Amino acid sequence: MVKDDILETQGLSYTYADGTNALRQVNLNIKTGEITAVLGGNGAGKSTLFLNFNGILKPSSGQVFFHGKPLEYSHRSLQELRRKVGIVFQDPDTQLFSASVYQDISFGPVNMKLPEKEVRIRVAEAMERTGISDLKNKATHNLSFGQKKRVAIAGVLAMKPEVLVLDEPTAGLDPMGVSEIMKLLKETQQELGLSVVISTHDIDLVPLYCDYAYVMDKGEIILKGSPKEVFSEKKAIRSVHLRLPRIAHLMEILKDKDDFEFRETAVTISEARKVLKDWKNSRI
Amino acid sequence: MINIDHLAYTSKLKNTDPRQKMLFALLTMGVCLWADSVVVSILVLLIMGWATVCQGGTRFSLFCKLLMVPMSFLILGVVAVAVDFSGNELIFIYSVALDKMYLGVTQAGLQNALHLFFKALGAVACLYYLSLSTPMIDVLAVFRRLKMPKLLVEMMGLIYRFIFVFLETADNMVTAQNSRLGYSGLSAGYRSLAALMSTLFIRAYKRADELYTALEARGYDGELNVVEETSPPYKWTGFLQTVGLNGLLVIFVLWMKEYGGGVVFW
Ligand SMILES: Nc1ncnc2c1ncn2[C@@H]1O[C@H](COP(=O)(O)OP(=O)(O)OP(=O)(O)O)[C@@H](O)[C@H]1O
Ligand SMILES: [Mg+2]
Repeated sequence: MVKDDILETQGLSYTYADGTNALRQVNLNIKTGEITAVLGGNGAGKSTLFLNFNGILKPSSGQVFFHGKPLEYSHRSLQELRRKVGIVFQDPDTQLFSASVYQDISFGPVNMKLPEKEVRIRVAEAMERTGISDLKNKATHNLSFGQKKRVAIAGVLAMKPEVLVLDEPTAGLDPMGVSEIMKLLKETQQELGLSVVISTHDIDLVPLYCDYAYVMDKGEIILKGSPKEVFSEKKAIRSVHLRLPRIAHLMEILKDKDDFEFRETAVTISEARKVLKDWKNSRI
Repeated sequence: MINIDHLAYTSKLKNTDPRQKMLFALLTMGVCLWADSVVVSILVLLIMGWATVCQGGTRFSLFCKLLMVPMSFLILGVVAVAVDFSGNELIFIYSVALDKMYLGVTQAGLQNALHLFFKALGAVACLYYLSLSTPMIDVLAVFRRLKMPKLLVEMMGLIYRFIFVFLETADNMVTAQNSRLGYSGLSAGYRSLAALMSTLFIRAYKRADELYTALEARGYDGELNVVEETSPPYKWTGFLQTVGLNGLLVIFVLWMKEYGGGVVFW
């Protein structure tokens, strides 16, 4: 157990009441202050894994550690844990319970028994950060999907958690929305020193924004490493309903089919640019 | 229903103190019901119409259209009150003979019916004023401040929030069924409707479960405690309009009862 792991699982397995083995022997470490991606096709077990992180689901076997200490499942310690591990759910409509944007965001901080003044400051900050200050007087049901998603994120940010766990934060957003949300997460992570865990099917954003990645399939972790390392395992990636980032795919084709000789691999546009420049220079 | 809700958010009265608006609507409604007079009911209707259209900025045509909504119920109900059945032809103003009995309207029945009709219309106008100017969130905030039972207010809030999710789900499902010809014939229609109902029930159940999980993740501890938006400042002058107006109405009614003589019927 390394000191700077904020979340860790050991041999984590979870079986739903109907007998589905959603997680099997999952071992992973989430490093403090990093953005970690959990990749996996539909039904791979990402949402189930996340619900184990803050004790909403209790492992059938194995353990979850927060700051190196195993989770306790008493009411008190769970309340304590949940203010430090914030989860933003896949569908904002399940998370937003109030018709008022402002009231919804204030829910978490109020549950932390903070004084009203502090709550108001936090709500304003969270709204500012997520860029929804102008939605204060709107009703939740009149918001667009992307706006609801931001409100959901704000509701968790207002609790100032140590780890922010987001289940598919970019699903259902337009391309602009995706990069805005990811930038917002990156900024928040850097400014507040937050640790962030996201699950996603959106392969292309992983090398851009994430420091580390896990790939899941059928409840098991099959790959882990930096985005570059993970995406160099082309066969494994493709065998689990995922694909390479577009750029990595292009580089692969150039190398294998068109006989370009690259010394390095590239998974983002800027990396590809560098590799191609090197290649050009090496020919002169 | 969804439209009315949307209108409340765009009303010019949205930012006035909700307590003021609620008192105005409810007190006036009370007076309208108590007075039981056609004249007062019409006055209330006009006042509420004026407040909604001129102060709130709701379109006049829309307000009229909304008043038409309860009309069919109202007319059916009123007809039932007005029409009587008796063996004695003389009590009727107008009647038709049915075998040995007579079906017709009496003076008293007609009076009752008219009173009922206008009273109901006046009361409906009061409620429209409230719902067209005050978002539900504000109404709930007032309830909370009036120390209504927490559970009740929370339930109302959740129902209000999830009615929209529910309707959207239902709407999408009907569209999906329609696009696969789910309602093309009578029997197909019944089958689709049954499927819709059961699926909606299961979805609602699942939603409730997910909602609970999500609330738990934010430290839910049995109560939905929140901090409200800062509300518009409390001004006692805001209540003058309400109290003054209703005072006048009450005096008017008393005066009519005392000196109006035959007119009191109105
Ligand atoms: N409440 C439940 N009861 C029974 N089985 C469930 C339940 N929730 C999920 N599962 C099953 O557990 C497995 C993992 O589901 P999970 O929701 O964790 O996947 P996921 O990776 O989040 O998928 P997606 O990308 O579609 O959201 C699936 O096979 C799913 O059918
Ligand atoms: Mg999921």
